[in-house]
Amino acid sequence: MSESRAGTITAEAGAHHEAPGFWRAYVFSTDHKMIAKQYLTLGLVWTLVGGLLAAVMRWQLAWPDTAVPGWGEIAPEVYNMLVTMHGTIMVFFVAMPILLGAFGNFLIPLMIGARDMAFPRLNMLSVWTFALASLVLLVSFFVPGGAASAGWTGYPPLSARPEFTGVNWGLNLWILAHALEFAAFLMGGVNYLTTAIVLRAPGMTFSRVPMIVWQQITAAALFLLSVGPLIAGAVMLLLDRTLGTAFYAPQVGGDPLLWQHLFWFFGHPEVYVILFPALGLVLEVLPVFSRKPLFGYRWIVGATVVAGALSFIVWAHHMFISGMDPRLAMPFSITTILISVPFAYIVFAMIATLWRGSIRFPTPMLFALGFLAMFIMGGLTGIFNGSAPADIYVSRTYFVVAHFHYTLFSAVVFGGFAGFYFWFPKMFGRMMSEPLGKLHFWLTLVFFNVTFFPLHHIGLAGMTRRIANPLQYDMLVPHQWINVVSTVGTFCLVAAQLVFVLNVVWSLVSGRRAPENPWEANTLEWAAPSPPPHLNWGATPPTVYCGPYEYSLPEAREDYLPQNLGPARVR
Amino acid sequence: MATDKAHPNYVAIWVWLLALMGIGLAASAIPGARVIAVTVIFATATAKALLVALNFMHLRFEPRLIYAIALVPVLFALVLAVTLVPDFVFRR
Amino acid sequence: MSSSVQAPAIPGIPAGKVGVWWFLASEIMLFGGLIASFIVFRLGSAGWSGEAAHLSLTIGAINTLVLLTSSMTVVQAFAAAERGHASTLQLFLGLTILGGLVFLGFKAVEYTTEIRAGFTPASGIFWSFYYTMTGLHALHVLAGVVVNAIMFAGARIRNPRRVELAGLYWHFVDIVWIFLFPLLYLS
Repeated sequence: MSESRAGTITAEAGAHHEAPGFWRAYVFSTDHKMIAKQYLTLGLVWTLVGGLLAAVMRWQLAWPDTAVPGWGEIAPEVYNMLVTMHGTIMVFFVAMPILLGAFGNFLIPLMIGARDMAFPRLNMLSVWTFALASLVLLVSFFVPGGAASAGWTGYPPLSARPEFTGVNWGLNLWILAHALEFAAFLMGGVNYLTTAIVLRAPGMTFSRVPMIVWQQITAAALFLLSVGPLIAGAVMLLLDRTLGTAFYAPQVGGDPLLWQHLFWFFGHPEVYVILFPALGLVLEVLPVFSRKPLFGYRWIVGATVVAGALSFIVWAHHMFISGMDPRLAMPFSITTILISVPFAYIVFAMIATLWRGSIRFPTPMLFALGFLAMFIMGGLTGIFNGSAPADIYVSRTYFVVAHFHYTLFSAVVFGGFAGFYFWFPKMFGRMMSEPLGKLHFWLTLVFFNVTFFPLHHIGLAGMTRRIANPLQYDMLVPHQWINVVSTVGTFCLVAAQLVFVLNVVWSLVSGRRAPENPWEANTLEWAAPSPPPHLNWGATPPTVYCGPYEYSLPEAREDYLPQNLGPARVR
Repeated sequence: MATDKAHPNYVAIWVWLLALMGIGLAASAIPGARVIAVTVIFATATAKALLVALNFMHLRFEPRLIYAIALVPVLFALVLAVTLVPDFVFRR
Repeated sequence: MSSSVQAPAIPGIPAGKVGVWWFLASEIMLFGGLIASFIVFRLGSAGWSGEAAHLSLTIGAINTLVLLTSSMTVVQAFAAAERGHASTLQLFLGLTILGGLVFLGFKAVEYTTEIRAGFTPASGIFWSFYYTMTGLHALHVLAGVVVNAIMFAGARIRNPRRVELAGLYWHFVDIVWIFLFPLLYLS
């Protein structure tokens, strides 16, 4: 029986399936649920590393050139490495594996009523490739010269010539790690798109697919279509570094600006690759705890596709001060302002979903609401960054850092936790502690704002990015207290995550056993056991009779109507 | 598996491909009139690519979704190329 | 086979085909980005035709011929697979593999000649692009040869659907060369 048609496995095959050994079940698994957990584990491990780097950075910024406990004094070159690796790790090794790799893998087959992904072995290959990428990146810390230090954006000439950074193998391995990571997510992207197109259960039309599936496949399509030019650019960078090619070297006919164009052509869609799954997580949670249908489903899908398409023509807003042709500034400002429209619609749809709902506030809902509030703030500062005249002032300052942390952190942390707390019972078969969850939320919300809100101010005061010692600049000395506040906030934010770790460990060990549908939700994954068995659905996969957001239907017996139960549950 | 769909004549397409290649080579060999030669060369290249895509890759017979998957990246690549022109063609 | 598919898939598209086309979409962007960069650099600088004159037009033309022909043989292989003619399928698959190997052989000869003449990737921007574009393309040809060889060797996996998918990839590699040839050798 070909595994590539996993959705077609009939009852007899299910009965023949014997329990796999440890290695097949936990290490070399082709089951999308296990692969999801593998991505989640790798992502969480990298979160620790990325967070540690951030903590060290923030110590240096608050108390420059004092020894960081457990690390020592931070030389400027080392600071460059911290900044670089923090960005690289958070974007490519935390956000993507958790939001796309883990949630995409776990949810897509379950939510469309499939038994597994369309290509289970390709799926396993993708997570192993990602694991290899992780290993390469980890090794890059320990080679002579240390890890990459040319910024997560890796602009040449700094990144192209080893003598400029003092880092040789670290940067080569950095490029290789990215290449492997891209390969892993290309494989994953092909899998998600094919699965959603081909393996939907009977009755599951595209207009009945849960919103997060739309968001995941849009993100996958965005990634597939945007990463090519950067792979080309990365090959060019590697060859510049190793073979002496001339791509980015002006003295022999190249141009460093080419890298910036190729990088940001990918870089901008990439931030939506991260954002869309997070939006999807929140868009799933809000209707469940408002007991109301999602507002404007088709328009949200339309807005998502439009924003995704627009994301390919906004990239140069990252380059307003790069020295590119100034005539490009206006068109890109216009497209950037335009792209705020579909996102604004999605935010309004979220609010409209809440409006007059019977709202409950378990932990996933709190994080979803936290996302909404924080993302709005991040989106507002995006407007300043996206218009060339304002951006010329704020570019390369901490104003930008504040903007993207408000948006990215909202997505990865608030969105991610909303999803994690929501689907933990399904993934692990246990309920999490509500009191600890609520504590985690409030601490995270408060200290997130303590850490990042002041950065708007110090950015506008002129503190530029990637500087190791603000006190070198006289104009920043009176504002140094802002750096101290942000650093204290950082440490408290990191400490607050211990509550989460405690909750997870405690819940896994002795949490209450989760019922099939603890949240009384409609989507198909709640019709499977918690956790679902291998091949998800036992003898027969579900048939779908209605959309995913039929909450509080007047004619239904309960205030929710699972997609697979349809007519029997009405009246 | 799809039942026998209409096949283009693969050998005939191949002959066309070779003919187009010949035209392109001939155009490049003609001295002078570079602009015309380049136009002919890339027009024949595009024609060859379309022949291969529509016939050998069966795009002509595929559902619209497959067309879209093939066409959208070409458009995006063109967008990239066009946007790069101001910075790299006019500034050098 | 298809009768046991339960999903209301978009009618008639097997999973493998959807998957391969999405993969090709990403490859179009990869080579598209590389080619776009080449084109704008080329348009913005003078003197590249002087450099390009050092390329062997003859070998380039032969290689184009070889790849075009191998595109035809691989689709003939697919047609044979659809009709169930195993020996014809093997013949055309073999010819396709041969075509790929001939291409790579000629490429190796070219590279050796050029490097011996002193034209390395570090010899300037034209040569940087030339080696990168043709090198990346050659790696893709090699991958295609490997895939085709695996199918040639293994009867169990040699079914019409798989031949079609391998063919799709092979045609894509051919199309890239259809553009690389005039870009590098003729302009």
